[in-house]
Amino acid sequence: MTMFPLAPQAALAAGVLGALFLGLLRRPPPLALRALALASIGGAMLLAVGLPADVYVSPILLTDAKTVGWQYLICLGALPLAYWLDGEDDVLSALFLGAVLGMSLLASAANLAMLFIALEFMSLPAYLLVARSRPGDSSLEAAIKYFFAGGVAGALFMLGLALYYADTRSLAASSALSPLGQAGGALMAAAALFKLGAFPLNWWLPDVYEASAPEVSGFLSTAMKSAAVLFLMRLCELAPEAAFIAWLPAIGAITALAGSVMALRQERLQRLFAYSSISNAGLLIIGVGAWAASGRSAEGVSAILFFLGAYAFMSNGTFAFIKYSGLETRSQLKGRGAAMPAAAAAFTILLFALGGIPPTGGFMAKLLLLWRAVDAALLWPAAAGALSALISLAYYLGMTRELWFEKADEPAAFKPGTGAALVVACAAGVVLLGAAPWLMSSISGGLLR
Amino acid sequence: MSHPLTILWAAPLAGAAVCAFMGARARYAALVFSALFAGLAGALVMTMLANPALSVVNELGPVWAYGISYRLSADSLSVGLIALTAFLNLICVASSWELDVPAGYWSCFLALASALAGVFLARDLFFFYVFWEATLIPMFFIIGLWGSSNRLHAAVKFFLFTFAGSVFMLLALLTLVSAHHRATGVWTWDLAALDASALGTAGPLAFWGLVLGFAVKIPMIPLHTWLPDAHTEAPAAGSVMLAGVMLKMGVYGLLRVALPLFPDLSFSALPILGGLAAFSTIYGALCAMAQTDLKRMIAYSSIAHLGFCLLGVLSRTSQGLVGGTLQLVNHGLTTGALFLMVGFLYERTHKRGLSDFGDLASRAPFLAFFFGFSTLASIGLPGLNGFVGEFMALSGALSVLPILAFAGALGVTLAAAYALPAFQAVFWAPAGPGSVSEKVSDLDLRERAVLWTLSALMLWIGLAPKPWLAFFEPALRGLVR
Repeated sequence: MTMFPLAPQAALAAGVLGALFLGLLRRPPPLALRALALASIGGAMLLAVGLPADVYVSPILLTDAKTVGWQYLICLGALPLAYWLDGEDDVLSALFLGAVLGMSLLASAANLAMLFIALEFMSLPAYLLVARSRPGDSSLEAAIKYFFAGGVAGALFMLGLALYYADTRSLAASSALSPLGQAGGALMAAAALFKLGAFPLNWWLPDVYEASAPEVSGFLSTAMKSAAVLFLMRLCELAPEAAFIAWLPAIGAITALAGSVMALRQERLQRLFAYSSISNAGLLIIGVGAWAASGRSAEGVSAILFFLGAYAFMSNGTFAFIKYSGLETRSQLKGRGAAMPAAAAAFTILLFALGGIPPTGGFMAKLLLLWRAVDAALLWPAAAGALSALISLAYYLGMTRELWFEKADEPAAFKPGTGAALVVACAAGVVLLGAAPWLMSSISGGLLR
Repeated sequence: MSHPLTILWAAPLAGAAVCAFMGARARYAALVFSALFAGLAGALVMTMLANPALSVVNELGPVWAYGISYRLSADSLSVGLIALTAFLNLICVASSWELDVPAGYWSCFLALASALAGVFLARDLFFFYVFWEATLIPMFFIIGLWGSSNRLHAAVKFFLFTFAGSVFMLLALLTLVSAHHRATGVWTWDLAALDASALGTAGPLAFWGLVLGFAVKIPMIPLHTWLPDAHTEAPAAGSVMLAGVMLKMGVYGLLRVALPLFPDLSFSALPILGGLAAFSTIYGALCAMAQTDLKRMIAYSSIAHLGFCLLGVLSRTSQGLVGGTLQLVNHGLTTGALFLMVGFLYERTHKRGLSDFGDLASRAPFLAFFFGFSTLASIGLPGLNGFVGEFMALSGALSVLPILAFAGALGVTLAAAYALPAFQAVFWAPAGPGSVSEKVSDLDLRERAVLWTLSALMLWIGLAPKPWLAFFEPALRGLVR
């Protein structure tokens, strides 16, 4: 069955309107918002199954293999936040679904102007989502910081686009670039790297991830990161002659190392995982560089897709654990394993997966990505990526040690909240991906053939 | 049983899962599954002995994407080391029987046995790596949860060090697989099909990457610093598995992967690697001499003993290879016995310093007998197992690089110089002030049964090594230069 090419976006748009409508009711049915968000995102996922391949809907929108793959990724990354929408905040739900809609549009963007529109479409609701996710000043401050960082990224992109257009008179792929066009390409890439939190454009990211509610950080680090990676990949496609592409592996290597090193001394869990997500973004940038360097091969796409898919489980799972346990710092982890054995065991699995230990999906993800880099003769970036994984083990193992091997500092009563099932489900997902990696590749392989 | 080798590694893993849900009765499940695993390994040994034509058992699975295929195979080298794993695992369960530990303890040991069996069976390098890394997880928890005072530090250090080596190994494997694909157009991780000559100038880089991964595990000086901490802080049974089997993974990796893939490079690297191995025997012995902690002394002695194995294996002569491989088994038995006895002492007194004991021979004659027996086996007394392995390994090295053999022989002498005084101090010297010897009761029946088994094997290999050597020889024949 062939779907209308924008059917997933239609499902998400219906969700946004539905959430706002529920807000009009004096007494909305309990959990209606959660059900609506889950239905809307789940529906977008189902509708993506039947999308036609390689169709231009209009000059600015298309569906290709990546559109479909990223439609899944974005929805997969967003599902956990939909699960947590158990309040009655209709605006929060609408903002969340609006951001997902923006990401989903980005997956379909066919030229540079549409990329910009989609970028702003997904970013604006996200700023407000951060501000509204948690009461208090710190989330407001983080949202303003996020807004300014995003504004800079948008402005860089606009300027780059102007220069690029001045050179090529085109908003899509074009051949040989003058220095003007090269500068434009570099500025647009800087915008994408800003969004990904590449070093040294990462300064906003830890503050935002730390001040948001954990489930929102999980959403930003998975769905938003997936969209940003695709944003970078589309740039590589639309400006294939741009010189910045050759720099991506080095930028990725530095980002991966910097993120891991800076996470080493973090005490607050959300901040630690923010730096960990910067490190993972570095690996992804290496992967994008390898994909571009090897003639944009289908294997390169499927390696990135697998990484992001595994990361959607790992990162959402860890932030869900933070939300569930209510723990804020590493020292609070001490000796808590026994108090919540199932969730803590699942969290441990997620930590091992993030560290890239087999037999988890996290190992497969890192292996496939670094393998692409080695295959594209990018040996040094691959070695840097492997080194960053090694450094990151120090804090993943450190947290395992605190959780299970050490004794609690204050033996006060400790009551975790609800949502352990989500942590366990994420861990199960990542174990499944490790034990049966062909699951993902058979899903994505059919698309990328 | 169409998948005998899969069953071999899956049985202990199933046991680990069962134990996790058995609560207080987990030890019985652990015993059953350890016995099952040992029985399966024993059956494989018997099949091979009874039917010399059946020198290799193969099992092929489907090919996955990217040339990864589930490919297991067992020759006498694999089977011998799996039998050692299964035997020591059973010994560990028996020796920990009366410990007050939760179900996870037994699960970890069975999971470790399963991953180790996988390492020795895998012939697809992807699966080899996965099993290789998977061994770290249970051992990390064994040290961290049930180790002694400094366990937190030791567990993380152990994991990070060995993982650091593995990272280089993984990069080397990826380079190899990619180069093979570029040269032939075929994706494969199959050890038998891969051709390292495709690497060209990247060959040495890949070789040293592999060697680094294996050398950390052996451990070869100067990559050994994780070992004394890990072995000392682990619970007794954990030390047995660490020293008895996990150190062997490094030498096994050299034998199985590095030497066959890079026959020439590995031979031209002999002066460096052999030199480090010879240095390990001397340096390990000197460090052991300086220790005041009984367990730490045995840990350092392991570094020295693995140096002998390495010297023999690297010489690539028939007697060196077979002797070095037999020495892997010997070291597993003798050092395993020594670690167990230090564990028994520690259970009774919570001490393990050399100066904490004295005059134990009169209080615990059985303990003294077994400790003395194992010490003599460990320092290479003719008639016991250590002599056979060390003698053959050194004579192999002598025919290739005599200077290394002389250095190794010095290591043998030094072994007597640390092991005998330690034995004397603990068992014969009069108890000093602060001695806890009066708390030591002699071994009970269960402990004696465990040690009788180990000692009988030491004596058997020492008196009649021929069947043991003949068992390993076919698998190593191809490596002789």
